[in-house]
Amino acid sequence: MDRFRNILENRHDYAREWKKRTGGRVLGYYETYMPEEVAYAAGALPVRIMAGHRADDVTDRQMYGNCYCTRDMLRQFLEGDYDYVDGVVNTEGCQWMYNAFQTAVNRRPGLFSHYIFVPDYTDGRTSKDVLKSELGVFRGRLEEWTGSAITDGALDAAIDVYNENRRLLRRIYELRRLDRPAILGSEAMGLLLASQIMDKAEMNVMLRELIPEIERRAPAEDGVRLMLIGSETYDVELERIVESAGGNVVVDELDNGSSYIWNETIPMQDRLMALALRYLGRPHSALKDNVWRRRPQRIYELYEDFHADGVVIAKQIYCHPHGSDMYAVWKMLRERNIPYHTFERDTTLPPSETRQRIEALIGMIKPGMTRLRGWSEA
Amino acid sequence: MSEAYWRWPESSWLREGRDWRDASGVAAGIDVGTTSTQAAIFCDGELHGYANIHTGPDFRAAAERAMALAAGGSGLKTENMQRIAATGFGARNAVCATKFLDEVQCHGRGARFMYGPEATTVADLGGQTTKCVRLYDWDRVRDFVMSDKCATGMGRSVEMMADMLQVPITEMGARSLDVEKDPEPVSTTCYSFANPETIGLLRTGFKEAPYSGNEVLAAYLFAVAWRILGSIGKLYDLDAGDVKVHGSLAFTGGLAKNAGITRRLERALGTTALSSVHDPQLAGAIGAALLA
Repeated sequence: MDRFRNILENRHDYAREWKKRTGGRVLGYYETYMPEEVAYAAGALPVRIMAGHRADDVTDRQMYGNCYCTRDMLRQFLEGDYDYVDGVVNTEGCQWMYNAFQTAVNRRPGLFSHYIFVPDYTDGRTSKDVLKSELGVFRGRLEEWTGSAITDGALDAAIDVYNENRRLLRRIYELRRLDRPAILGSEAMGLLLASQIMDKAEMNVMLRELIPEIERRAPAEDGVRLMLIGSETYDVELERIVESAGGNVVVDELDNGSSYIWNETIPMQDRLMALALRYLGRPHSALKDNVWRRRPQRIYELYEDFHADGVVIAKQIYCHPHGSDMYAVWKMLRERNIPYHTFERDTTLPPSETRQRIEALIGMIKPGMTRLRGWSEA
Repeated sequence: MSEAYWRWPESSWLREGRDWRDASGVAAGIDVGTTSTQAAIFCDGELHGYANIHTGPDFRAAAERAMALAAGGSGLKTENMQRIAATGFGARNAVCATKFLDEVQCHGRGARFMYGPEATTVADLGGQTTKCVRLYDWDRVRDFVMSDKCATGMGRSVEMMADMLQVPITEMGARSLDVEKDPEPVSTTCYSFANPETIGLLRTGFKEAPYSGNEVLAAYLFAVAWRILGSIGKLYDLDAGDVKVHGSLAFTGGLAKNAGITRRLERALGTTALSSVHDPQLAGAIGAALLA
């Protein structure tokens, strides 16, 4: 577990070292619908560009009023944290993310850059054909960039590596689901985040060693089981606050959390179609959930499946996809009498205030629980 | 800043004719807030003494001073208390506390004690945040909403507005209600923006109006009330189309003493808030003592 934590905390060093070791190229990407397998098959390492927690005074000219995530991504780019990146890719999604991507490209015109259109109507009749065609264009651009063809064999190998990674991380979720989880929410989220910056083949080897170790662990202390939903998160601070307040995040519904690994690519003769179906068929992101509204139902199913006791909704300030679908989620939670608390996050919010909210939520849930040991004496 | 305007009076009280030494159990609660600190002492479940003071820059000293004032020179020390719970933003600085509790629970419990079992919607209008709590018919918290981030439009910024307009804070509410008709609220309750907007209002002639400056107060407090109203509204099902607070609404916290805010909220909600013989600022400390 420490190895993953180390890699996550020193992710730039990891990518630089990977480049040196393999001679490969690093592709930074912004959005959750990035078809990583295609880039991986081209011999590149897809690395998710993650926001940090630093108050920003660099991007005012370019991105005033955008969410702090995207501003911080751009700040890191402008300040050279991502100087090892050889190219950047964005997929259709949030406009703030597009702004961060486009500004980075403008500032470093020598970078390889590509934009992939992903239909908003993911279940539309022609959506799979549209995305397959987009993936074909992306494949062509990568071949042109690297100077070598992406073979079907390379695509198959990439699909296998990614599928195995998803399967192993799903196993981590199973260990979170236990009545007494074998793994803390902060540890699990750390693994999820590490998987977005690591070479998946290397990670799979490490995960295969780690999972039996976790399975042998003594179960964690019983506590209030929470579900985390909302905007993407790039660190485990919130999970740690929950743990320090006597709770545990046992499941999440985040674009770069459970939704990132939930479904596998089902192999087909037409590899690009298989990938198109995988990405369109993944749990809906708030970005793509405007018509069918499947997220509330999925959130409810995960909540029940993981025996959560309450829900934390942490929305990034100025995050419009989550701002607009919040009402449907609230409605579902209220109809089912599920305790929840919503708050906005940004880099300037002191952790002590978040802690107050989490303590209050746990304090609200606890009296109704008979499951917790020692509650009757409390 | 001149203390004459923004500084609200501190207070303390000790039950007469009762010696804490006769009690079989003594419990205390301390609410160390960003702006004010309260301590409440209970002897055998009965309120024995309290204090309400300015926090100032030193949370630890404020907690100690509030406890000493609440004991009122009766010789009662923290060592004589069986249980002490602390809540509030600076709770961890209360070194005498044996238990730390979240503010939402404490205000809910304190409001039940102060306003009776009817209180199911509690709006704590504090120095830094608004916390709106919905309670079940029993004491358990059903839902809560906290305002985000900075102290926009809360107690501390009202203090600053009192200073800027040179109106004693205790008179602000009544004077803001002394207008024929509420003016448009200022467009923001963030003090940094409300300040220049208020100066702009003064410049355009509000100061020369028959109720010199009252319209400005009304415009500001109306905006504060409107913001709090949004938080109360979030406690209820939006689809129901109404906020069911009739006969169940209790205000706690320092701004609960500002009629310019509470009256406007009552008007907007079409109800009259519950009243209590206790100082509404004490709810957090009382709740902490009862839950200690």
